[in-house]
Amino acid sequence: MLIHDLRLALRSLRRNPFLSALMIGAIAVGIAASMIAITLYHARSGHPIPWKSDKLFAVTLDTRDDEPPQSFERHPEYPPFQLTYRDARALYASTIPAHAVMMYRSAQVVTPPPNKSAKPFGVSTRVTTADFFTMFDVPFTYGTGWSRAEDEAPGADVVLSKFMNQKLFGGANSIGREVVLDGRPYRVVGVLAAWMPRPKYYDLNNSGGIDVPEDIFIPFGWMRTGKLMSHGNTNCVSRRAKIEGFDSLLTQDCVWLQYWAEFRNGADRDRFQVFVDNYANAEREHGRFPRKNNNRVVDVQAWLGMYDVIGDDSRMQLVLGFVFLGVCVLNTLGLMLAKFLSAAPISGLRRALGARRIDIIRQHLIEVIVVGLLGGAVGMTLTLGGLAFLKVLMFSSMLAHSDNPDRVALVQSLVHMDIPVMAAAIMLSLLTGVLAGLYPAYRIGRLAPATFLKTQ
Amino acid sequence: MIQMQSVSKVFRTDVVETHALRDLTLKVEAGEFVAITGHSGSGKTTFLNVAGLLEEFNGGRYTFDGQDVSRLTDNQRSRIRNEKIGFIFQGFNLIPDLNMYHNVEAPLHYRGMPGPERHRRITAALDRVGLSTRTKHIPSQLSGGQQQRAAIARAICGDPRVILADEPTGNLDTTMSNQIMELLLQINAAGTTILMVTHNPELAQRAHRQLHIVDGKIDQIHHFRPLQSPQVVASHAL
Repeated sequence: MLIHDLRLALRSLRRNPFLSALMIGAIAVGIAASMIAITLYHARSGHPIPWKSDKLFAVTLDTRDDEPPQSFERHPEYPPFQLTYRDARALYASTIPAHAVMMYRSAQVVTPPPNKSAKPFGVSTRVTTADFFTMFDVPFTYGTGWSRAEDEAPGADVVLSKFMNQKLFGGANSIGREVVLDGRPYRVVGVLAAWMPRPKYYDLNNSGGIDVPEDIFIPFGWMRTGKLMSHGNTNCVSRRAKIEGFDSLLTQDCVWLQYWAEFRNGADRDRFQVFVDNYANAEREHGRFPRKNNNRVVDVQAWLGMYDVIGDDSRMQLVLGFVFLGVCVLNTLGLMLAKFLSAAPISGLRRALGARRIDIIRQHLIEVIVVGLLGGAVGMTLTLGGLAFLKVLMFSSMLAHSDNPDRVALVQSLVHMDIPVMAAAIMLSLLTGVLAGLYPAYRIGRLAPATFLKTQ
Repeated sequence: MIQMQSVSKVFRTDVVETHALRDLTLKVEAGEFVAITGHSGSGKTTFLNVAGLLEEFNGGRYTFDGQDVSRLTDNQRSRIRNEKIGFIFQGFNLIPDLNMYHNVEAPLHYRGMPGPERHRRITAALDRVGLSTRTKHIPSQLSGGQQQRAAIARAICGDPRVILADEPTGNLDTTMSNQIMELLLQINAAGTTILMVTHNPELAQRAHRQLHIVDGKIDQIHHFRPLQSPQVVASHAL
């Protein structure tokens, strides 16, 4: 019977191709609008490291004055998202976490190897303590990270991203090779495999979550020796604080370091929260931390939520997408009602021949499902076109002057319909078709069979 | 086969109430061919719709094939229409974009009949009405007479107990009308009860009985020929 109803549905669609095309078009446009919004939302709402969701925690301290010079208007209830050097060092002394990382974003100039004819070029670097690679499960193609000892007494070691190793050494095993950064030679101890956490959760302050990992990773111990300035956001949280060169970064109440900890279990996490609060209480006695304790040790999802990675724009797009889809459903409903009523005499005839109400309703529902699926197929094509257009519109500046294929891949991933989104599109198409057609199908099924027989 | 006792049917709108059937009492025996005549608006079609379970009635009692239909659910009424009643309409009422084969097949689908059995019945019915060479034609490719014969094939393919024909020759010329009437008489002779609404007195006189309806009531009954006994009807059917 289903095959029979499917044949009838296709015949019915062919009977009035213009009206059918209008209905399919209306659903397609609605699906495309909502799927583009869902795709953009989905790209920002993923969990970048779900297998460690109960172990990884971002740490923040509320070191602000009562009237800090920097504005935190959007969420004044949240503490600053970064730490001062002094506070980070104090927390780093704790042995409660299994791993801990303090780090910041910097930038250096690379002098290419002598056999390369390229000119020196700038790179983004991450100055970090050793646990970064272990804690964030960073994959390596060659070698490993450096030892924790080098965070205090630096060895001249660096880790390259896959892209940088490709650029400098053609992708070959470069362990032991030399890289010159700002005129100082470093030895390569590790080369990363492809790695692109999305969002870039470990440093939301400098990217909003939409960025590729850094090109080169440098031991934290080099910070003082090399006077490696921060190239990320730096906010002073005290009116007295003032940045005057590298050394003031280490002493002033200005936040510029990201801090993460990994715990073995929830009890350790709770102990660390107590440790952090006790530290703040002790500092308060020395005139810092004038506010009540508002120190947070939050997991990745909460961290992304605090920073509002998804953003109001994405949420608004999602709402508008679904509102537009609703309008399209209503339009399709009207068209379907008109179409079904115009064919009511045939339904009346089928009722006379023995069709039950449910047979008529089912037959029409199958037709609306076919319309929904066809609309969904066209809508997916429109979605792909729309996403390609958005890629040019929204991310062209991000891709301009970049030879980093990871950046292209990142943009691609932001406007890419993955399997779950495609499955959602199919379900949405079905749902849209049924929503638009349920009432018309019900109406036509309720008509008395004799009503239209004379006029058929 | 059909027994109505004081059946009434009223159509109501906000401003007007129309009594289409008034205390209509009637008995039709199995195997009978009954012609129903009357002026336009007298209630003939309403009577046929009520008899065919296409419309519900407001009062009285109606027994179809021994079954009181007034308490049946919509599904039960659909099943009776599908299995026991065949319809023939003045305007043929074929589905325009289906060929003859699939038009005849339509009621059998709703019976859930297996494909081979459907094919056997469709082929036999189209052969019986002389349309076995027109199975692939859609209605617009056939003459009015051929379309009506296809409608008859559709009505008989389910082997119904009763055929209800609403002015089956109304859109046809005299020659075609006679052919259709001959076909109906053959079907009736094979044992199927037929109720036929017609304006044509000559065709009406070829039935066993003629009922004349005026203002929703049976006004006159004319007997033209006696109904054969069930045994004789059965032998015709064989």
